[in-house]
Amino acid sequence: MSTKAKASKRIPRVGQGVARLDADEKVRGLAEYADDLQVPDAWYGYIVRSPVSHGRLRALTLDPDYDWSRIVVVTPDDIPGENIVDMMGRDMPFIAHDEIQYRGEPIALVAAPTRKQAREAAAHVRADIEELPPLLTLGEMIDRYKRDPSELHELCAQTIRKGDAERALEEAELVVEGEYRAGHQEQLYIEPQGMVAVPEKDGSVFIHGSMQCPYFINPELCVTLDLPPEKIRVKQSAVGGAFGGKEEFPTLLAGYCALLALKAKRPVKIIYDRHQDILYSTKRHPVWSRYRTGLDKDGTIRALCVEYVLDGGAYTTLSPVVMYRGILHAAMGYRCDHVWVDGYVFRTNTFPSGAFRGFGAPQAVWGLESHVDDLAKACGMTPHEFRLRNALREGDVTPTGGVLRHSVGSPAVLTQTVERSGFVEKLSRCSHGRVSDGKWYGIGMSFFAHGAGFTGDGEARFKAKVALDLEPGEDGWPVVLVRASSTEMGQGTFTILPQVAADGLCIDLNRVRNPYPDTKYVPNSGPTVASRTAMVVGSTVYGAAQKMKKQLEEYVTREFTGGQAVQLVDGQFLTADEKVAMTFEEAATHHFQHRGPLRVYDQFRLPDYLQWDQKNFVGDAYPSYSWGCNVAEVEVDPRTLEVNVLKVTGVYDIGKVLNPVLAKGQLEGGLVQALGYAVMEKIEIKDGLFDASRMQTYVIPTTLDIPEFDLDFVEFPYEFAVPGAKGVGEIPMNGLGPAIANAVEQATGVRMRELPITPETLFAAMTRGASGPLLRTGTA
Amino acid sequence: MSPVSTLKTFEDIDCTFPKTLQEALELMADEKTRGVPLAGGTDLMVQWESGALPMPERVINVKSIPELREISEADNEVVIGGSVTHMELRQSSAVRRAVPSLAEAAATIGGFQIQIMGTLAGSVANASPAGDLAPSLLITDGTVTLAGVRGEREVKLTEFWKGYREIDRQPDELIVRFRLPRLPEGHYESWRKLGARKAQAISKVMGSSRGRMKDGVVSCFKVALGSIAPTAVRLYDVEQWIVGQPIHDETLKEAEQRVADAVKPIGDIRSTAEYRKWVSGRLVRLFLEELAARSG
Ligand SMILES: Cc1cc2nc3c(=O)[nH]c(=O)nc-3n(C[C@H](O)[C@H](O)[C@H](O)COP(=O)(O)OP(=O)(O)OC[C@H]3O[C@@H](n4cnc5c(N)ncnc54)[C@H](O)[C@@H]3O)c2cc1C
Repeated sequence: MSTKAKASKRIPRVGQGVARLDADEKVRGLAEYADDLQVPDAWYGYIVRSPVSHGRLRALTLDPDYDWSRIVVVTPDDIPGENIVDMMGRDMPFIAHDEIQYRGEPIALVAAPTRKQAREAAAHVRADIEELPPLLTLGEMIDRYKRDPSELHELCAQTIRKGDAERALEEAELVVEGEYRAGHQEQLYIEPQGMVAVPEKDGSVFIHGSMQCPYFINPELCVTLDLPPEKIRVKQSAVGGAFGGKEEFPTLLAGYCALLALKAKRPVKIIYDRHQDILYSTKRHPVWSRYRTGLDKDGTIRALCVEYVLDGGAYTTLSPVVMYRGILHAAMGYRCDHVWVDGYVFRTNTFPSGAFRGFGAPQAVWGLESHVDDLAKACGMTPHEFRLRNALREGDVTPTGGVLRHSVGSPAVLTQTVERSGFVEKLSRCSHGRVSDGKWYGIGMSFFAHGAGFTGDGEARFKAKVALDLEPGEDGWPVVLVRASSTEMGQGTFTILPQVAADGLCIDLNRVRNPYPDTKYVPNSGPTVASRTAMVVGSTVYGAAQKMKKQLEEYVTREFTGGQAVQLVDGQFLTADEKVAMTFEEAATHHFQHRGPLRVYDQFRLPDYLQWDQKNFVGDAYPSYSWGCNVAEVEVDPRTLEVNVLKVTGVYDIGKVLNPVLAKGQLEGGLVQALGYAVMEKIEIKDGLFDASRMQTYVIPTTLDIPEFDLDFVEFPYEFAVPGAKGVGEIPMNGLGPAIANAVEQATGVRMRELPITPETLFAAMTRGASGPLLRTGTA
Repeated sequence: MSPVSTLKTFEDIDCTFPKTLQEALELMADEKTRGVPLAGGTDLMVQWESGALPMPERVINVKSIPELREISEADNEVVIGGSVTHMELRQSSAVRRAVPSLAEAAATIGGFQIQIMGTLAGSVANASPAGDLAPSLLITDGTVTLAGVRGEREVKLTEFWKGYREIDRQPDELIVRFRLPRLPEGHYESWRKLGARKAQAISKVMGSSRGRMKDGVVSCFKVALGSIAPTAVRLYDVEQWIVGQPIHDETLKEAEQRVADAVKPIGDIRSTAEYRKWVSGRLVRLFLEELAARSG
């Protein structure tokens, strides 16, 4: 009991590339994804969908010649609560009963003992629908917006006003304008959507499946099922990727399963196949933006005016918050006293757009960072000179009037990326579409931020809660369980939160586990979105760990050392003279035997100086920001106009890097997804449905398409959220599109204003008007 | 809309595995035992699953019939069995010598899994305009041999594809082999595929050429393109025109223009009509440039 402590100082786990704690179960195929869940007696659910994009449902009938005896059918009449999906706007029915707003909208649900029977039964539900004219594409939407916005159904709108942008624009020496577009993007997670609902004997419902946000499902089902919160239990299964696609959408699937399960009085499972998943789940909002910027010839930005318009699809769902993040990033990053941003989301009769990594910011940065290259050109500056001159720095004011007080990785990311990539020298080698022997070379950059955590005062109001449980593990030894609703979907939550807990407690990492969140056991730490988990939940876990540490130290002091204070260091309780009083395991075991398991809670807090006016969008739009800069080098083949992205250099400030291996993984994976968005992923509306509805036609990058990466971090920890992370999940998605477009301009001389940039769109741009090089001249 | 009456699953299909060609032909001869020929299944399984084709009652597995799996070399030709896989095509030294562009094309099909399962006859019989092997077959002026219980029939490859997904095959016949004249001395082949990404891509436009330069002019040139018409096509007019011409900027420009004028592609989910038309000319130009460079 009184051996001298080993001299070794414990190495902190935070900051180390420790191996994923879920690697073993995943590599060995033990992880249970939604479709692996063995649910005895489960039936399969299937959704009867509207065959028209817009219309009025007159009647629904069941084919009288079909045998319905072993089939359960749910129509709006079977919904115990409100037939409303309890999301923003509250405009989406769970099952359409009157007006139909998109092709594929549920008009009834069926369940049967097998998938095949369920599908067959669905085909025997007949709908009598009066068709109405639909609005289907971003293109048509923008045409109407330009002609007369009142022809559109506005789902939501918001403005940002700083200074007097109209006047500043008039007074500026130069005015530069530009329009930018990008279409839908599909998340294409490996595991399609899947959910199971189990009705329990006590009248409660157990939801188990693939999801990012267990606590999104509970309140929604309370409304739809008319059940009190305690009667709804939600548990996450292993998740094979999500990227936002399993943020709000699984709530719908959970509702379908639950409604069917309650009527069938047995478990009901719905697993989408890839085709259904692409056709009938959320995508990134298509965007159109228009910039008008006033400049002085010396490169000073006088006024920034932005219209940022999203295609929301049929219903509101999360569109307001996507648009908020969009407008908050649409003019972000540069000094400017007069900013005017209008954000809109309009309805089209297509599947509701939804969450996707970046959440409106990639769409905003796409326009802004393409436009900034035009600004640089207009005042005769290089892309990096212009950005360096105008980039926000510590102490500067954002478009909403917030002051960047702490942890500002700008201009560090910018200067370091420029240096690492050899940007200045390489810029002079760009081809500008000059006919030459080989390929056209171009280099381009983008500079961007990403607001950490929920927008506005979201985190301050939400107050994320976590718990830590100290209890005996399977092996009898004590374990600390992280109890948060934050989910693992491949990004590393179940590794970083234990790392943080181990450091907060000062114990070995192998004593910490992060079980799948289950609303029966975990407090609400919020949804796993908005790059908030490392910062918000991480620091709350750290707080809880420190509390638990203190409680255990007090326990040992009281029970064992006769009042002599101890400190938990490296898994051992040490007295002031560095003697080992006992180990963590001994103390914990004693605690179980005499006091039972130990649970501590903590809650996220932010500094008081943060101010936010949600109505006028004035103040600190985010507690802090991550920062990044990308340089892309491309080669365009003049023979075929194929764009080959050779290399991407990037430096990021994501605050304290909790796990450099996982963080690099997020950067690389996110950049590959951004590469797809930039040069490949094309999905359009045909007859009201997504056209590229299989992996055969929805083209994402393969390993061979991945460019060389040179990526690094520069750490500006966020001191109000110890250990200081700011978030890495989304920022890699933000900037690659415009960096590539800027590089393509340097290579070809043509400014591309729509994503994805493909040989077809380049060809169209180069043969349109006189802007491009003459393609028919020889290359030899 | 989901197809209603085709709610069968793979398990519902009756599958036979004949051990010899004769056995297979006998099964095919009788309507009662006849089935859809199944080789690697890389087209069929996808088409059944998507509902593009109804699931059949019966299939006859032809992939493991020994007679269909051989590659042999004769004096002036290489003979390739119908069930030879893409992987075998890309690895076979006989194929690489005789029709290098065919081996190159096979190497761009799908990924390894698809290359190991998919077969030459499967690709030819599937008759997709985007089938990557067709141009290389067409430029050889070779033949395909079909067999039925009554005997064999040899058809010129240039006459075998009748239209979109249509081939000259009787219901009781199987494709047994391909006879492809080998690349003559002093001739060169080119192959190029344009897809939306660097691997696992279905072609937007692809093509092959076989040609020769002698005394500073083109003495022989055969070129075929795919994905620009209901079937892969030979560009006979351009071939005829270029023979006798030297290769320089003027003739290249004209060849490019002639090709673009000759092809009438459509726009679809993979590409636009305009781009396909333009890039068709670019590919042929590239082939001619390669021919000139190699002929030194
Ligand atoms: C993921 C994926 C990627 C792909 N990528 C490419 C690509 O890049 N390029 C490309 O060209 N193709 C590609 N394909 C298509 C496919 O691999 C080829 O068309 C393949 O060659 C078909 O051969 P199979 O043996 O699998 O044919 P199967 O699917 O077995 O049969 C195809 C057709 O051929 C008929 N058939 C087969 N053998 C005979 C015979 N001996 N006699 C008569 N009829 C016969 C069948 O009845 C059927 O109509 C891809 C497919 C997949 C699934």
